[in-house]
Amino acid sequence: MKAIRGKHSENDSAKCESLGSMNSCSPSSAGKDEEEVFYDFQLFISQMKDQRADPIVRYTRSFLHSFVTKKNFWTAEEQVKLVNDFKLFIYDKFLEFEPFKSLDRSKLHNAQEGMEKLLMGKLYNKCFSPLLANDYENLTDDHRSDLVHDANLMDKILEFRFIKPINLEIPATISPKVEKFIQLSGKELNRINSYKAPRDKMVCILNACKVIYGFLKHSKLENEGADVFIPMLIYTIMKANVRSLVSNVIYIERFRFPEYLRGESGYYLSSLHGAINFILHMGEDSLFIPDKSEYNNQYEQNSVQVAEERDRIEIKEVNLEVPKLRSKSPSPSEYILKPLDGATNTVISKFAELFSPTATSQDDTDNREHQSAFIDDETAAAIAHQMEEDDHVRTIKDLQAMFPEMGCEIIQDVCAAKRYRIGACVDALLTLSS
Amino acid sequence: MLQFKLVLLGDSSVGKSSIVHRFVKDSFDEFRESTIGAAFLSQTIKLEKQDDVTIKFEIWDTAGQERYKSLAPMYYRNANAALIVYDITQPDSLAKAQSWVDELKNKVGDQDLVICLVGNKLDLCEEDPQKRVVDTEDAQRYASEQGLLFQEVSAKTGAGVTDIFQTIGEKLYVQKKNSQQAASQTRNTVNVELQRPSTNDSTSCCS
Repeated sequence: MKAIRGKHSENDSAKCESLGSMNSCSPSSAGKDEEEVFYDFQLFISQMKDQRADPIVRYTRSFLHSFVTKKNFWTAEEQVKLVNDFKLFIYDKFLEFEPFKSLDRSKLHNAQEGMEKLLMGKLYNKCFSPLLANDYENLTDDHRSDLVHDANLMDKILEFRFIKPINLEIPATISPKVEKFIQLSGKELNRINSYKAPRDKMVCILNACKVIYGFLKHSKLENEGADVFIPMLIYTIMKANVRSLVSNVIYIERFRFPEYLRGESGYYLSSLHGAINFILHMGEDSLFIPDKSEYNNQYEQNSVQVAEERDRIEIKEVNLEVPKLRSKSPSPSEYILKPLDGATNTVISKFAELFSPTATSQDDTDNREHQSAFIDDETAAAIAHQMEEDDHVRTIKDLQAMFPEMGCEIIQDVCAAKRYRIGACVDALLTLSS
Repeated sequence: MLQFKLVLLGDSSVGKSSIVHRFVKDSFDEFRESTIGAAFLSQTIKLEKQDDVTIKFEIWDTAGQERYKSLAPMYYRNANAALIVYDITQPDSLAKAQSWVDELKNKVGDQDLVICLVGNKLDLCEEDPQKRVVDTEDAQRYASEQGLLFQEVSAKTGAGVTDIFQTIGEKLYVQKKNSQQAASQTRNTVNVELQRPSTNDSTSCCS
């Protein structure tokens, strides 16, 4: 029966693979599969550089070109259909053309992931609702509704930002430590806006969930399951104040290849969506309120504060003559200016010409593009390495803030041993600190 | 290997998560998998009544507190099976389970959804029969009226726990087999008319 657990096994693959290379903090010792799942975007890029991949490159370029030029405002539903149909088509073509044709299952999966990342990196500005906000008047209803939900969520979070763990029925035994860990899970969740690819966004969600799980496990509450997990997730959202969270979740649901959204990813994405809905409908009735008059006072006080803060922001905006849609929704430039996807993004932009959706495809330029449009492997590897280093430094910093009592060396050792996987690191540090 | 999604419903005090943890703990190690594990678990079992059939359960836990009830539809959507758990030592426990049954029947249009009614905390009643407030016969009768599977268990001792998953797995497997047979029969008869020149439309490959 061993084959069932193998990572190349037909049946297991959907779930294992959906997690990519980031799964780690397992309560059991045997489960190593998902940790070993292969994921390497640069490998995909180098495969695309292969002359034999020309037909794949052409199909992709032509798809991107039509997507961007045929119509200015697709409905989200149309976008989903277009992207998904193209993925099915091109994943099929992988089986026809080298160098993809002869790849083993895990490398082929990697190519599929790479393609999704490439496509969505290119189409992000057209598909991620907050980036369309400037054209609000022309937007289709579904993109508009994403923006409205984002704004509504922000309003609700402000309205109820004073709530305490007890209001969500988070057990009193853990509440002293909740705030600290919520900060870390919130930080992980907040990174969702730094990525364009649906998979990468999903990883941020899973990492946030892992931090929560690490904490619950340490508090001996992991057997309580969703009864404690869900309130903790809701509390994380309340405190993390993630920009455009609804749009992010819906974007993943729309553009992540459905097969990869099953199993664990599906569960935690649904939980996040459910938690968001809970907050969108939050009212006195949805909270546990031990002391009604105290609650009422806090609510009133907070409402006054929120109103004051809003006034201040609006005055500022009027002074700056910033054209605004809603005071709460960020301007698209905020996204564009953000470093998007580290190494990957650099690599993509370096060979942007090849996939420039507006560029017309000309056969005679292909060879030149093949030589010049790509950065060489060494440079790409160096950039990727630097990005990874930066990421590691960030992880260590976050963990130091979380565990000030632990020595710097210990944290570094743990990080190295756990290969900088945040969930596993938190788990190990909690064990050490107890 | 067949995969099935199983959703776990019930009040927060009935011990629904413990049943699943017991199930995973008592199952064979060779199938154990790595998951975040807070609220989602997966477990593969061999069906006892079938030769060499393994199925994998993806178990979706829900928050049992009344205030989080509105999240449930996010979880039972597309589920193949539901475990509705009540506590045989709590007076209004069965009634709450019944309201879950009603909700599933109203909101999930799927005729094939396998629902299993599970009475937990059998161990307490074995220690002290006075503690039982929900009669086995009452629950059993209700379950058969509604066409549900039924089992009393103890997450603490493990009594009856693996049986639940065996029974559900068996039922899901038979259903799947029948529907596949039906589908292949339909395909054989209808296919002739549906044939058309092949196109490049990648969506047409609805295998």
